[in-house]
Amino acid sequence: MASSLPEAPATATRRFAEDLRQRSDTELVALLRVRADLAVPSPATLRSLAARASSHTSLERALARVNALVLQVVEAVVALGGLPRAQMARAVGADAQDPAAAPEGTDATDAPSPDTATPRTARQQIDDAVGVAVTAALLWDDGDVLRPSPGLDEVFGRHPAGLGPAVADLGHSPAARIDATPPEQRAVLDALAWGPPAGRMPPAGTRQREAVDALVAQGLLARADAQHVLLPREAGLALRGGRTHRAPALRPAPVGTDIPAATLAAESAAAALELVRRTTVLLSAWSDDPPRVLRSGGLGVRDLRRLAARLECDEPSAAFVAELAGEAGLVRDDGEPEPSFVPVDATWSERDDAGRWAVLARAWAASHRTPWRVGTRDESGALWSALAPGLERGWVPRLRAAVLRVLDSADGALSPDDVQAVLTWEAPRNAPPSDAVRGLLLEASWLGLTGAGALAPPGRALAGIPSADGTGAVPAHHGTAGGGRSGTTERSLPAEAADPLVTALRTVLPSEVDEMLLQGDLTGVVPGRPSRELASLIEIAADTESRGAATTVRFSPASVTRALDRGRSADDLLTALGRHSPVPVPQPLEYLVRDTARRHGAVRVGVASSYLRAADEVTLAGLEHDPALAHLGLVRLAPTVLAASAPPALLHETLRERGVVSALEGPDGRVLDVRHRRAADLRGARRPAPRSARALSRAGRGPDASGPPVRSEPDLTALVSALRAADDDAHTPATAGPRPDDTTGPGAAPPPSDTDRHTDRDTDAGTQPHADGLALLREAVRDGLLVRVDVVGAAGKLERRTLRPLRLDGGRLRALDPARDAEITVAVHRIARVAAHDDAP
Amino acid sequence: MADGPLIVQSDKSLLLEVDHPRAADARRAIAPFAELERAPEHIHTYRLTSLGLWNARAAGHDAEQVVDTLIEYSRYPVPHALLVDVAEIMSRYGRLRLQRHPAHGLVLIAGDKAVLTEVLRSKRTAGLVGERVDESTVVVHPSQRGHLKQVLVKLGWPAEDLAGYVDGESHPIALTPVTTPRAPGEEPRPWAPRPYQAQAVEGFWHGGSGVVVLPCGAGKTIVGAGAMAKSGTTTLILVTNTVSARQWRDELVRRTTLTEDEIGEYSGAKKEIKPVTIATYQVLTTKRKGVYTHLELLDARDWGLVLYDEVHLLPAPIFRMTADLQARRRLGLTATLVREDGKEDEVFSLIGPKRFDAPWKDIESQGYIAPADCVEVRLTLPESERMTYATAEPEDKYRLAASVPGKNHVVEALVARHPDDQVLVIGQYVDQLEELAAHLDAPLITGATTVRERQKLFAAFRSGEITRLVVSKVANFSVDLPEASVAIQVSGAFGSRQEEAQRLGRIMRPKEDGRTAHFYAVVARDTVDQDFAAHRQRFLAEQGYAYRIVDAEDLLAA
Repeated sequence: MASSLPEAPATATRRFAEDLRQRSDTELVALLRVRADLAVPSPATLRSLAARASSHTSLERALARVNALVLQVVEAVVALGGLPRAQMARAVGADAQDPAAAPEGTDATDAPSPDTATPRTARQQIDDAVGVAVTAALLWDDGDVLRPSPGLDEVFGRHPAGLGPAVADLGHSPAARIDATPPEQRAVLDALAWGPPAGRMPPAGTRQREAVDALVAQGLLARADAQHVLLPREAGLALRGGRTHRAPALRPAPVGTDIPAATLAAESAAAALELVRRTTVLLSAWSDDPPRVLRSGGLGVRDLRRLAARLECDEPSAAFVAELAGEAGLVRDDGEPEPSFVPVDATWSERDDAGRWAVLARAWAASHRTPWRVGTRDESGALWSALAPGLERGWVPRLRAAVLRVLDSADGALSPDDVQAVLTWEAPRNAPPSDAVRGLLLEASWLGLTGAGALAPPGRALAGIPSADGTGAVPAHHGTAGGGRSGTTERSLPAEAADPLVTALRTVLPSEVDEMLLQGDLTGVVPGRPSRELASLIEIAADTESRGAATTVRFSPASVTRALDRGRSADDLLTALGRHSPVPVPQPLEYLVRDTARRHGAVRVGVASSYLRAADEVTLAGLEHDPALAHLGLVRLAPTVLAASAPPALLHETLRERGVVSALEGPDGRVLDVRHRRAADLRGARRPAPRSARALSRAGRGPDASGPPVRSEPDLTALVSALRAADDDAHTPATAGPRPDDTTGPGAAPPPSDTDRHTDRDTDAGTQPHADGLALLREAVRDGLLVRVDVVGAAGKLERRTLRPLRLDGGRLRALDPARDAEITVAVHRIARVAAHDDAP
Repeated sequence: MADGPLIVQSDKSLLLEVDHPRAADARRAIAPFAELERAPEHIHTYRLTSLGLWNARAAGHDAEQVVDTLIEYSRYPVPHALLVDVAEIMSRYGRLRLQRHPAHGLVLIAGDKAVLTEVLRSKRTAGLVGERVDESTVVVHPSQRGHLKQVLVKLGWPAEDLAGYVDGESHPIALTPVTTPRAPGEEPRPWAPRPYQAQAVEGFWHGGSGVVVLPCGAGKTIVGAGAMAKSGTTTLILVTNTVSARQWRDELVRRTTLTEDEIGEYSGAKKEIKPVTIATYQVLTTKRKGVYTHLELLDARDWGLVLYDEVHLLPAPIFRMTADLQARRRLGLTATLVREDGKEDEVFSLIGPKRFDAPWKDIESQGYIAPADCVEVRLTLPESERMTYATAEPEDKYRLAASVPGKNHVVEALVARHPDDQVLVIGQYVDQLEELAAHLDAPLITGATTVRERQKLFAAFRSGEITRLVVSKVANFSVDLPEASVAIQVSGAFGSRQEEAQRLGRIMRPKEDGRTAHFYAVVARDTVDQDFAAHRQRFLAEQGYAYRIVDAEDLLAA
């Protein structure tokens, strides 16, 4: 094999460049297409293109993309240094495996046999592989002989194809000498024949050692170092019968398990419907109770577990549903200071099952995310959570397409191992991680793209879509996940009719059933896929016990109550049930509905702020409809009980004014010390209620929690004047003063009662309500009046000053102190009390 | 496939449409491997369980048959995962076999070495097995045969027991073609076992050991007698109570060649050991100083057959004892494999797989048990009683609700509606029953009534001398009152399904004139009584009985 001797590197490079130069423009374009890295940045000359093409990085990159057979032919050429095209099939072991390819020169394609549909013959596949390798300039034609691109021997390492180094002088016909070796020696050679070619020296004095020594002496083994021997390349080839590989790495053609079309369709439809159902449940669950977004951005483990329980599935499935809902733009982070995941229900509720599914499928097809990693840990040991940022991987869409393509190519169901084997063959130097392949296959099954492991019609539609032109296709590009989202959610509904995905799913969906068999044990069975109307009836009025080809539901007092809560009446419900049932509604079910309706609403809950009760109903008579008391919102609950929407103190005061002598009572029914409580309650009445549970729990004197607070007449006056003051002093917005609910403000202490606000001479009057004080101050600013101001000093003691206020804003009062003839500034919150100067005590 | 009667759900339930033309075929085809869960009027629900599939394997059905059956009758494509699962579960049965080895005695042999290794590595099998003979065989201590089977079922690798049985002491027994009169005035009548009874005996005998499931009133005693005749050996019969023991004795004397002298009673009262001995569960489980004092009974003779009546009630200590009886043939008789304690797997591993099963409805439709009309009467409590109820302690609520005085009138009205029928009034609380008995002027049987008195009253009732009888829960089990055609239940044991089956069984015996049986439950509205009733209602409806609810007011007005 003279042609197989390697050339000197320099010559090789020069001749490789020469070969490139010889290639036609079409060929060069093809080269740049398959090895895109060669074109970026544009090489200046063909020589530099050749240099770049034989660089280690570029070669690695090119080899990472070729399949196992291409890799094998390249390796064969590298191992042999050069190989006539015609001998390629033999070198990679094709004749040993494929007898049809053995007779050289006969071209199988010339005589198309009846079974042309069978996989291409080994010879054809090998020819194709050589073609690919040449196109990619991994090999080049040196006349009749294939030569490797320079630099490849480095990429393949020291022992390409498991062959040892070439030893210059092994003499002629090593095969004959090998045949002559005695059995022990032959055993040693056979052990090293198919590589790796290095063997460890047996211990001295053993028979094996003798055999090795004899082989070394004959030159059939070479000493590598004191410990190891190597099988020279020529000897190895001779042992292999001149081949570099035992057998060609032909494309694995996994035999799919045959799945009947009906089963396939049913499995696919069942999975698709279940996914749609789960997504719908997720949306309703999260709209009731949005889960918090973790600080790291994902969904907490506990929330995921809760979701899984709600969806009646395991956590990985739940994580997928959440992820997919996120990808489809159905849920998002609400961006609040304490962020939660909230549903963004754009068109979901308007679509039917197939339309909803198409939204999900399309989002999946464009997704870069790797939900199967949820629950695993990253390099730093942190747990990946669903919807967390960082789960994207750029290769996901490519691998997804590859997985679907492999499934598509098989006729029937493939196991994940089969798919993995094909994908590994396609790129052995860049095999996809098996967890990703499994993850994607699982997702495809959850989406109903596959059924029982085989690609189902919806899956074919989805796999086919990228090649289809424009209309209704998966968004061709999707820079960010967000871009994909808007693309999917903004699709208009009318397009559904023409949507190939929707159509594809509809072909597998079983026809709808609008009938439910009701039975005496309070169950109902829908013998098929319930229609939309029936499904919603079931959802509100029954509990589903079993889902699948049919739906089994059970009616219980709880489920009927749920329907009644939604405003259905018993008759309504029975009519609806009767309409869907081919048999009369069973007597026990009818009884259940009527009996539950009878009890429904027997105990009622409502909202009130205070109540009035009296021992004698005569006392309360007439109050309910007294127009003067209308603002109290009185409702008669019982002959001796009225509920009011006004807070207790206001109620109390108003009744007093009306001449009804009432007493305030506490939660325990005891009469309260009115003088003490009244002040606090009136304050509560005047101010918007603090929305804390603590405030609500102070029943009896707590402020009104619902409805607008009803103000008393003097209070309203104060409000109006405060408003006017604020209006006059446009620069002093109301919020510039103490906030209404700012408990450190002047309003914090008990205010004087309304009726005697300005004449309250109680020594223990304490501080004033903020509004009064501020109004007075503003009045003084406007009119240039003197006021007496009680200021809380640094030591917490009250200091009384007479001031002429100049300006009130930004929470500060600027005023002139006439006593000292100095201008001072006081923070408003330190002002405990303001009084007109002439009001001096 | 498009129009089969069966819908196979992926959660392993099978829905059978009753009115479908092929429903009967489908029912027969799936019966061997699927458990009937409920049988209301239109769609019956069966369930595939591991035990059910193993039962089918034990009966000689293979996975392919099961899969083919499902596919053949299914309306929609059968979920692929379910078919795979069925095959997987069924293949687990019999990978391990218990056999006799000529040299090593009892051994566990595995067709699959990996399974044996997995099982032996489990902590649970430690101490139950001896040395490993070879890769696929391990010695089993004969005393641990039952325990090992229990453990293997729990591990998911049920063993097939091919180790055979001891023959036992021979004692010829045969069925007589004409009944032997037991009571004065009773005429000898020709009789023969019903076809399904004969099938049940065959099924049992062929399988070696196991359980025969027949509804109440379908004549389980006769299946027992048939099995004894087939065995022709000394027999130990375990029953629930003394009354039942006496009924067994009467039936055996009436229908077999056995005489009274050959049948012993081993109970609290008597301790006789005869070739055929009837013992109560209670006496066997009696402990003195922490020791079961009557265990020697099990070894008193070389029993060739052990019969368990009402297997679903078998108490835990009997299971333990049964574990030591694995070398003897065992026959369990029951109306239901459902145990309220969920110990179905113990029955499977220790007594044996189900050998025969006939759905209640089928036997009813063959005319062997009476059709029944079930009515729940809801009684609205007067204000004062509602108030008492509302303020009662939770533990007293059921008793209060169940024994409201208003029920007396309802019972009276119901009894008045059936002047010509034999009426049983059944309740839980003795004071209530006493009151009712006084009200109706009917005799009362409670736990305090002597056995002699009970038998006298039952005999009088059977003969029609008395037409009304008030009984407490003593009558729940194994008291044969074939003439009762109306049962009125006023209170029960918290809605137990078993109890319902038993009570219904009391009136399920076929009537000579083919009358419909009536089963009334009187329930206080809006109380826990009603909640328990809902439970019972579900049970009855699931069993396929027409069930109605009427208001007591309507009834009293009518």
